Amino acid sequence: MTASVHPASVEPAVSITSRAAQIFAAARREIHERTDRLFAGLMAFQWLMGIIFALWVSPLAWDGPVSRTHLHVWAAVVVGGIISLFPALLAFLRPGLPSTRYVIAVAQMLMGALLIHLTGGRIETHFHVFGSLAFLAFYRDWRVLIPATIVVALDHLLRGFFWPQSVYGVLVASQWRWLEHAAWVLFEDVFLFVACRRSLAEMKETADRTAALEHEVRTRQQAELDARSARARNDAVLEVALDCVILMDEAGRIVQFNPAAERTFGYSTAEAVGTELADLIIPARKRASYRTGLGRYLATGDTENLNRHVELLAVRRGGEEFPVEVAIAPISSDGAAMFAGYMRDITARKQAERELRQSRDAERQNAGQLEALVSELRVTQRKAEAATRAKSEFLASMSHELRTPLNAIILYSELLQEEAGDNGHQSAIPDLERIQSAGRHLLDLINGILDLSKIEAGKMPLLLETFDVGAMVDELVDTVGPLVCKNGNTFSVRSEGALGSMFGDLTKTRQVLLNLLSNAGKFTREGAIMLDIRPATIDGTTPCVEFAVTDNGVGMTAEQSRKVFDAFTQADVTTTRKYGGTGLGLAIVSRFCDLLGGTVSVDSRPGEGSRFTVRLPLQVVDTAAEPATHAGIA
Amino acid sequence: MSADQPTPSTTASDPQSSWLLWAFAAFWMVCVVAGLAIVWAYDNTPGQAGHSPAQWPAESGLARAIDGPTLILFAHPQCACTRASLGEFAEILARATRPPRTYVVFLKPIGFGLDWEKTDLWRTAAGLPGVRVIRDDEGVEAARFGVITSGQTVLYDETGALVFSGGITGARAHAGDNAGRASIVALLNQGGTDVSLTSVFGCALFAEVNGEVWRRR
Repeated sequence: MTASVHPASVEPAVSITSRAAQIFAAARREIHERTDRLFAGLMAFQWLMGIIFALWVSPLAWDGPVSRTHLHVWAAVVVGGIISLFPALLAFLRPGLPSTRYVIAVAQMLMGALLIHLTGGRIETHFHVFGSLAFLAFYRDWRVLIPATIVVALDHLLRGFFWPQSVYGVLVASQWRWLEHAAWVLFEDVFLFVACRRSLAEMKETADRTAALEHEVRTRQQAELDARSARARNDAVLEVALDCVILMDEAGRIVQFNPAAERTFGYSTAEAVGTELADLIIPARKRASYRTGLGRYLATGDTENLNRHVELLAVRRGGEEFPVEVAIAPISSDGAAMFAGYMRDITARKQAERELRQSRDAERQNAGQLEALVSELRVTQRKAEAATRAKSEFLASMSHELRTPLNAIILYSELLQEEAGDNGHQSAIPDLERIQSAGRHLLDLINGILDLSKIEAGKMPLLLETFDVGAMVDELVDTVGPLVCKNGNTFSVRSEGALGSMFGDLTKTRQVLLNLLSNAGKFTREGAIMLDIRPATIDGTTPCVEFAVTDNGVGMTAEQSRKVFDAFTQADVTTTRKYGGTGLGLAIVSRFCDLLGGTVSVDSRPGEGSRFTVRLPLQVVDTAAEPATHAGIA
Repeated sequence: MSADQPTPSTTASDPQSSWLLWAFAAFWMVCVVAGLAIVWAYDNTPGQAGHSPAQWPAESGLARAIDGPTLILFAHPQCACTRASLGEFAEILARATRPPRTYVVFLKPIGFGLDWEKTDLWRTAAGLPGVRVIRDDEGVEAARFGVITSGQTVLYDETGALVFSGGITGARAHAGDNAGRASIVALLNQGGTDVSLTSVFGCALFAEVNGEVWRRR
């Protein structure tokens, strides 16, 4: 099924005024050209008649027994020809032009002069003048009377002066008599002038009416085209509409039944048109209600049930009932009430709605279960957090309890070494040294565990102060220098510009650097260890000091690098055996950096070494307490 | 647009064609005026003047009235111009309070057939009351009265004395008021006039031979 709309339009409308002017001009030109042709014929006729008249009245001139052609005959032929041919030629070559009709006017009057002469100045021939003026008025251009009148006046003036009898029929005439004749001509001119003006006014009026009529016709044609176009569009829309569109008359009879309605209800358009809608698609038990509503609208104009969407039951050919969504709108067509019904089979939608309701019920059920699970998880989480806190508190408490006797063991082992040395019991010294070393290792381990526990328990306080970075580094180098260099390593410190001061926790900053440098010294043999310090930013905004510890020691794999900041984690189990350590140093570095609002990262390759980069803000903010002072790096 | 405005020209008229048109129109006008002037000049040029005898010629075959004037119009029967003279002649007779003895003498040259002279002019003249129409074979009477141009009219009084000789039209073939008619009417009605000789407009009654007007003597 295809539907198409063919737009059409009439020619662009010109204004009535300009169109009237065109019609008027064309009519005038047509009159001018037609009158030109008439005069061309008249000229030829007059010429011919002049010749005939001359041949009849004075064919010959005589000298006794000898005759010859009378001069009047020659005058009729030659002068009449000269007078007639030029304007006749113009009438065919330049019809309608002002110059043509002016020449014709002059020629007509000259022809009159000739004819008057050929008739021996008969006063009756003077009527030719008046007849010619009337004929010239056929042009409906009063201007053409002017040259004609001038010719008549001049003819009478000149002939009245030289040969008055030839024009006035008297031997002696007044020198002003030509004015009398000219006045009579003007007398006729006045009436012809009025006639021309009135005729032109009527032509103008006719042109105006014609233009208005044309405009009206054009407007109606355009309206018809628009209506056809609109109908074509409507038909196209109805053809391709997915919904049923049914038009009904005021009796409820179907007048239009679109293809969607055919598909939905199972009736062809030919079957449906002319049938009452109620009988065709409304279940029998609902028809009375439908007709009542229609009758109420027609009687009262009550539109309660119109112009709104309602869901009803409809019936297909074969009697199957199905749900439809209906909207019925009253429309007006040529004053008669009509209705447009839009119907959509909502069987599938109803099914989908049912399935959706079922799905929502299931979702609600699942949501309840999920909510219970989340609550359970929250409880579990709270329990885990409580357990973690308890563990940390336990570890802190236990570490404290362990450190007291351990310090005693270490102290007494030192004392025993001194006494063994003083008493000459050299063989006992190595054992005592092992006891002291093991004790110190255990104390370090406990201290680390204690620090981690405090951090995780949120009980690690920050001791913020303003300290000089350079002095801190110098002191650190003095402390850790021997440790870093003990494996034959070289240690160097580089800084960019003045280091200035920072506001932070000096102890924890120093601890971070101490852990990184001791680690570097531990995992590097006869290598180079470098501490670089420079001002930088965190995330491009927060001013910080960057500490970078670089070694060319054993390095780490990518997997090892990812886990190196986890507690109790070293590169691998052999590392612990080979290099010792608790596996807490880098974990503490990471936690301290977090506490100070800084970052730590590692870049390492196996066998090439590692580079640990720490960025600590110039002004550390203690989220638990207000900072005491502020200082910049400069 | 007013109804009385000139119609816009729809034909493009270039200056050259316009100039040619007006030049040709001027030439045309000159030709027409020249032609008309020739015709007017011809019509207003009188024929040769004849010299009528001061006394009624005794050899004339026409009978002169002894109790009143005798009026004679000499005419060429084929001369178109003479139609106007006959009209004026009739006008004279109509105005005359005491009609004279009247003759209209039509020339008949040698060599023309029977009734050659019986033209409409003849019939017109014959229809005039009291007019005696005479055929003048070979122009004998015309020669006796010294007339050589058609339309010449002579008036003799009761004593046989010539009182008027000339034409009775103002121009060739032009009817209307003219000196000849007025003089004759005055002579007939009042017995006197200031004008006794006028120009004659009409065809020659006799052919010219070697520059001389031929007539029978």
